[in-house]
Amino acid sequence: MDFNLLISSYSAVFTNVQVLLMTLLGAFGGVLLGAIPGMTATMGVALLIPFSFGMDLIPSIGLLLGIYCGGMYGGSISAILIHAPGTPSAAATLLDGFPMTQKGEAGRALSIAMFSSFCGGVIGALVMTFLSPLIADMAMNFGPGEMFMLAVFGLSVIIAISGKSIIKGMMSAFFGMLLCTVGLDPTNGIPRFITYSQTSLLEGFQFIPTLIGLFAIAEVIAGVERIIKGSEKQETSHEKITNVLPDLATIKKIWPNILSGGLIGTFIGAIPGAGGDIAVFVSYGASKSASKHPELYGTGIPQGVAATESANNGCSGGAMIPLLSLGVPGDAVTAILLGAFIMKGIQPGPMMYISELPTVYSVFAALMLANLCMLIVGCGGVRFFAKIVSVEKKMLYPIILVVSLLGAYSINKNVFDVGVCVAFGVIGWLMNKYEFPLSPILLTLILGPMCEKNFVRFMNIQKGNFFAITTSPIAMGFLLVAVAVILFSIYNQNKINKRQAAAKAAENAQE
Amino acid sequence: MKNKTKTLAFANLVGAVLFIVIAIWAWFQAEGFQEVKGSYVQPATFPKIMIIGLLIFSVLLLIQSLWKLNSMKETDPLAVPAQSINFIKDKSIAAGVLVIVLCIAFVALFQPLGYVLSSFLLSMVIMYLIGKRNWVQMILVSILVPLVMWAIFYKLLAVNIPMGPLTFLRTLADKI
Amino acid sequence: MKKKFLALLLAAVMVLSLAACGGDSGSGDTGDTGSAADVGQDAGGSTASDYPTKGITVICPWAAGGGTDSCLRAFSDAVGKQLGQTLTVDNRTGGGGIIGHQAISDADPDGYTIGMITFELSTYKPLGSSELTWEDYDLLCRVNRDPATVTVNAEWAAANNITDLQSYVDYCLAHPGDVQMGGSSNASVWHIAGGYLMQETGIDIQMITYEEGAATAVQNAASGFIQGVTVSLAEARNFIESGHLICLAVMDTERQELFPDVPTCQEQGFDVTYYVWRGMGVPKGLGDAELTALRNACAAAIETDEFIEYMQNAGLGIAYLDANEFGDFLQQNAEDVAASMEVLGLT
Repeated sequence: MDFNLLISSYSAVFTNVQVLLMTLLGAFGGVLLGAIPGMTATMGVALLIPFSFGMDLIPSIGLLLGIYCGGMYGGSISAILIHAPGTPSAAATLLDGFPMTQKGEAGRALSIAMFSSFCGGVIGALVMTFLSPLIADMAMNFGPGEMFMLAVFGLSVIIAISGKSIIKGMMSAFFGMLLCTVGLDPTNGIPRFITYSQTSLLEGFQFIPTLIGLFAIAEVIAGVERIIKGSEKQETSHEKITNVLPDLATIKKIWPNILSGGLIGTFIGAIPGAGGDIAVFVSYGASKSASKHPELYGTGIPQGVAATESANNGCSGGAMIPLLSLGVPGDAVTAILLGAFIMKGIQPGPMMYISELPTVYSVFAALMLANLCMLIVGCGGVRFFAKIVSVEKKMLYPIILVVSLLGAYSINKNVFDVGVCVAFGVIGWLMNKYEFPLSPILLTLILGPMCEKNFVRFMNIQKGNFFAITTSPIAMGFLLVAVAVILFSIYNQNKINKRQAAAKAAENAQE
Repeated sequence: MKNKTKTLAFANLVGAVLFIVIAIWAWFQAEGFQEVKGSYVQPATFPKIMIIGLLIFSVLLLIQSLWKLNSMKETDPLAVPAQSINFIKDKSIAAGVLVIVLCIAFVALFQPLGYVLSSFLLSMVIMYLIGKRNWVQMILVSILVPLVMWAIFYKLLAVNIPMGPLTFLRTLADKI
Repeated sequence: MKKKFLALLLAAVMVLSLAACGGDSGSGDTGDTGSAADVGQDAGGSTASDYPTKGITVICPWAAGGGTDSCLRAFSDAVGKQLGQTLTVDNRTGGGGIIGHQAISDADPDGYTIGMITFELSTYKPLGSSELTWEDYDLLCRVNRDPATVTVNAEWAAANNITDLQSYVDYCLAHPGDVQMGGSSNASVWHIAGGYLMQETGIDIQMITYEEGAATAVQNAASGFIQGVTVSLAEARNFIESGHLICLAVMDTERQELFPDVPTCQEQGFDVTYYVWRGMGVPKGLGDAELTALRNACAAAIETDEFIEYMQNAGLGIAYLDANEFGDFLQQNAEDVAASMEVLGLT
């Protein structure tokens, strides 16, 4: 590690006005884009790549990283405020973020999300700066078997996010896994549950329209119902936002979640093919398991928001590691960034650390800067965004509806996807009514394809011998942790149920 | 314990039966998937594992709710009344169902009318439905929100969205 | 209440003005109409001189940020400058490219919707996934081609004394079914390239599919989970340079600029040529004047320095064929692909 070079690269990036401006612009655009359901950081980066062609490498990388980091945080804004995750990586944020809004703490939730995103991003950038060769070596050791077990490990969180009934949670999960198999079989291209003529379903239910349907549309239907019933509360902004950053007492409460979230995010982000959408759930599950009061998770507590938000921004640092050191992109955004590097005549990969070290350090610095810009944009926006919930509900619901439906359309520009979105809105509404948890479906929609693809690939490589997986220490490690997580969550859930029963009994006794 | 059909336990029973039906249907579908030579895992394998999982837990829920319906006390967490979806009796649910119907109409009108017009209709009707009567606000919001969204997508992101009769706006926007 | 409504309005106005700002930067380059007229007159058609009068939509059947998308965006820029109009790329993804390909052939043949057709078009009919073939389009030109390769894990090769294509084939013949090669997704070009290799050399290798794309396959091969890949040089470049992978041969008639040391299959005595292609197509029924204008613009665009430099940086090979040559090529390609897919059991 060449510290002089590191310091000079950092100072060069932080004093370059063009880089500063571009990164700030990127972060601003990213936050706005991310906040629109259906517009993901991936799309933002892809669409702005042509604009970056005319620029030098570092300003254009700054712009793209700004969008990346801003988008990660932006997604959580709509998750917190209107129950519609703007990006897949914000999917777990709504578990605790939206209940906070319902409690009238939207501003607090936003500032916690922003602060945690920033800290997670910084953790990711630091790890990337100092440990990337080490982590890149680790990423090389991930093959199909390891990826399969990583997916299983991710799925083990299901019980922790199942809510009251483990049985119903598992039903949701298996139903979600079944939904993932609709479309062409990934390995052999055989149509499943459809025929070839249903072109729009060949690739299965598109993730974003499904996500928007299950959460945003279902929430709108339920909201209209509540308005007619007269049970809808109008949140007003009597929540005073005196400080856009969380206060010290809150930070004291959430810092362990931020630290672990940031590290989990970086680690999972560094594995090619695994991104923020997985990391957030793992981090949420870990944070819930480690808590003394797991029953409070899902009711709107800062720890839940901190754990997920730090993980998804930690991912951005993590995903850069295999990109720069192996030339293997960790997620969709880095795949596009890879293209951007190549366009500029720089080939990321093992040789980059030898021939292009100053560039590598400048990218580290740009990522750090991007996180800082996200914080600045976020601070400016908290008050403004928090106002959204005080828009009259009778106007807010139609607005959410038309914006969400457009989001569903824009992913593939296919009207069929809008139909899928509405259909899942109905499913989500019904499942909510009868207390089938939706989060397990969400998690399985993310992990199902990864799980199946790698399972089949592993079996084909091993010629049908599944037990060959026992020879991989990484895979076995994941399996052990997964089993431990499952057992611990069952134990936890029993404890929660008992506590709630006791609380109810006490209530009854008082009456 | 009277009128058990109103409890959550009974709703669970219905849910369990529904998922069992889905699982059985899916199983028969999976039986019909084409087989592939030379692949160690057939296209039907993974879905079938998931169907078995769904079946196991659905049956568990079925047993649990049957048992609860038989012998549950008023204080049981599953004895709470479940929400209804009877949209004939309950006005609020009728409104929810109406929103769904409107969304389906939106999907049907999306191509011919375009995004802005169909969104305008959708949001006007819903606002009226939920009791909003301030016409100025209603019209302004219903026009501005879809229009601004379209403008963002069209100008900033170069994403084409169907505009139906309003396609001329594109030419207008191109001139800005 | 009024205050809140004002806030909402304010937000709307902010976003609007933002949109307007963004528009400024995008619509700057519409002044160059002179060259369009030139092209039109060159074509000799009298009506061609007023085509095109507005922006053209270019359909890309693959996602933004991928190989086809980046190739098409650069080419659209270049063609747009020739025509004096803005060409806007519209990514219509899904269904393994079928949705986008279908959209191109279904578009109005008025010259304002064109698109990029890619290798996968040759696979739809053998797969049975769609009835679309190259004959559903009027062709403009071929833009790009990149050959498949035989690239193997360096350690594995050293352990088994594999140094060139001949020793690789010998090893595979001695160990039928044991060697596992990665392509990208099922029925994709690199997957079928493996089938073609088997067909032409009589070896029996197992093709492993990688839905996530070539990058994961390359990483898996470099780490030794599989023995090799058939992907393009640009995609395997990193690990060839770092010494994790060795490229034994490219499936082309001549050596590639990126790695001039890598011999072709033909040089090593195997008549195997196989490559991905990308070209421009328009819906059937377009007028002659429009067709000529577009073809001329494409022919001129392909020779601009800017486009050439872009493709070089991206590691994409330029391989222009005019409409007629492209048609002959596609007919041959469709037959070859169908045959290789049969070997792989994909039909």
